[in-house]
Amino acid sequence: MDDLILLKQASVASEDSADLFETDVLVENGVIKAVSSSLNAIDGTRVIDAKGKVLLPGLFDVHVHVREPGQTSKETIRTGSEAAINGGVTGIVAMPNTVPAIDNGGMVRSVLEIAGRDSRVEFFTTGCITKDRKGKEMAAIGGMKEAGVVMITDDGSPVENPQLLRRAMEYAREFDLPLASHCETMHLSGAGAMNEGKRSYKLGVPGIPSISEEICIARDIQIAAYTGAHLHLQHVTTARGMEIIRRAKNDGVKVTCEVAPHHLIFNENDIVNYDTYFKMNPPLRTEEDNEKLLEGLIEGVFDVIATDHAPHTEFEKKQQDFETAPFGITGLETALPSLYHHYIKEGKFGWDLLVKRYAAEPRRILNLDQVSVKEGSRAELVLFDPQATTTFSQDFMKSKSPNTPFLDKELQGSVDLVVNGEEVLLDRSDGAA
Amino acid sequence: MSEPHKDLLQIEDLNKDEIESILAAAQPFKELFKRSVKKVPTLQGKTVLSLFYEPSTRTSSSFEVAANRLSADFTSLAVASSSVVKGETILDTVDTLGAMRADYIVIRHKKAGIPNLVAEHTDASVINAGDGFHAHPTQALLDASTLYDVFGKLDFSGKKILIVGDILHSRVARSTSRIMTMLGAEVRVLGPGTLVPPGRPDKMKKFKNYEEALDWKPDVVYLLRVQFERQGEQFFPSSGEYHSVYGLNEDRFNKIKDEGVWVMHPGPVNRGVELADSVTTYDRCLINRQVENGIATRMAVLYWLKPQTFQQDG
Repeated sequence: MDDLILLKQASVASEDSADLFETDVLVENGVIKAVSSSLNAIDGTRVIDAKGKVLLPGLFDVHVHVREPGQTSKETIRTGSEAAINGGVTGIVAMPNTVPAIDNGGMVRSVLEIAGRDSRVEFFTTGCITKDRKGKEMAAIGGMKEAGVVMITDDGSPVENPQLLRRAMEYAREFDLPLASHCETMHLSGAGAMNEGKRSYKLGVPGIPSISEEICIARDIQIAAYTGAHLHLQHVTTARGMEIIRRAKNDGVKVTCEVAPHHLIFNENDIVNYDTYFKMNPPLRTEEDNEKLLEGLIEGVFDVIATDHAPHTEFEKKQQDFETAPFGITGLETALPSLYHHYIKEGKFGWDLLVKRYAAEPRRILNLDQVSVKEGSRAELVLFDPQATTTFSQDFMKSKSPNTPFLDKELQGSVDLVVNGEEVLLDRSDGAA
Repeated sequence: MSEPHKDLLQIEDLNKDEIESILAAAQPFKELFKRSVKKVPTLQGKTVLSLFYEPSTRTSSSFEVAANRLSADFTSLAVASSSVVKGETILDTVDTLGAMRADYIVIRHKKAGIPNLVAEHTDASVINAGDGFHAHPTQALLDASTLYDVFGKLDFSGKKILIVGDILHSRVARSTSRIMTMLGAEVRVLGPGTLVPPGRPDKMKKFKNYEEALDWKPDVVYLLRVQFERQGEQFFPSSGEYHSVYGLNEDRFNKIKDEGVWVMHPGPVNRGVELADSVTTYDRCLINRQVENGIATRMAVLYWLKPQTFQQDG
């Protein structure tokens, strides 16, 4: 471990400025000691040539499935955190749909205990809204808050009963806990496995209509407006759903929302030969939705980018047919390079948007301390090399599961260095072994 | 260009030349059936295995007869009673079939894409005998073969085909409309609003009612089998209402029979639902012809495909 790290001529990204500014950054004992041009190294300083590379605060993902406890053949807290590091993510929020589900204070404590031992990034967990995510009875929300959850959600399922959802919002509101909704209307989704439309017709796969998600978004927003609770809408995929949220925000409803990189980059037409690495819920929608969601992200409708990192084993995904295989793809390792490759490199949006939506706002909506590349800030840093490329081979990836549409694909950019406080979590910068 | 393929999974994988070569290959087999000895030695020593995960009488026996007439060994795995229901995955089953050195695997399954998955994992030729709502390519080929007989040519330009019924859940509608369009015909559809989805190809225009559809003067009325209820969900109020609104009932049949319209149906027919009883004895009702051509067409498909297992013969 290096007590002193000096990054020479790094191009620093921040949420406040579209421009990168070149400077030296000195890290001492896990804190940013100085940000200034032409800093000199004293003896024992680890010096890293960061010229042409982008230095940004550690990314923060509010939607991650680490599968522990209960489904550790897919992922564990340790491998999930290693995947996060590989993608420049230094903080993650785990979803509670584990086996058993995280629906009481004891479970929260035990997960946080495992994380304290195994997670190499900042780790937070959510808890369920309802017991065992069954949508029947309220989970121990107060007890989970006391044990440390940052949000409640039945992610993977909606709370179908609107009265129960209303009561949960009224109750959670007093604990200042955001309630996150996976929006879906089960009677409309039925046995659907992909977006309902031209592509599902052609493939003969039962469809999930966009109204399944949109109706639930509208319903949950009405309940949030009525109760005054903080509603967080997970993985929004349709332009119409996004417009409902935009109107609610304009009306002053306390609602935040997230968009996943795959819903920006891919659409239903990318599902070729029943490739289950393009199957997730909510599903890939249309090309028009891609464009509208990107506009919404740029205009600020989306508070955060989140991956919905959802590991499943190769067996579950590739030895089964499209309809039977589970929903979900991984995302922690590919998010930053894929967003750089598709949008920042192409001039669609700047580094400031990425920092704001995938580092700053995620911490803000959960009332966590901010990190930034400024003097006095805790050193939670990512150095990204836009000149290099990354090929997402199974060897390269740290997740236990290979289920990403980017498998074996090359993207522009490479996460070179990840620092979290006094620890250097990853070092692929020049001269490193 | 027409190069034999390893698998027949969906009509989309075939170009027009390839469709024409398969249909041309079926013609001599049709002649063969008129003889007393209906068997040729073409696939002697080869093995055809059939895996039907969905009940079917006509398609599975059609394949069996086709394989027998080509002198292939035919075995059907009784999937419902085998280890498949005990948790073995379909790819495990396929591995087993590999060990049995099957050259052709004929597969029917209720999930779309299963034949595609299987095809990636075997050297045997995979023939899709119907997967979910996705595809039924041999049905499409036999339908085209049947219209080849009655039209007298493989160019269907100027011909109008009306498909009536459950477009949403029909692999037949998807595959048959595709092949007919490729051969030059115009295909339009009629059916309950619940069963004619907007996701269908744009050029498959929809009629609002039978009267409008018959005014279009179709050459062929292709009736699809309908199911009153699917997994507890109703798509129309009753079979009786379906028959009166979308069925080829006596009134409509009387209107079209003098105009020489051909009637087709993939079977099995729900009499009194999709069509009135009297339609089945109409001289331009092609339903039995479709069954007969099914055998010749499936022989042509077996003959045309090239399993990777043959390469081992050097």
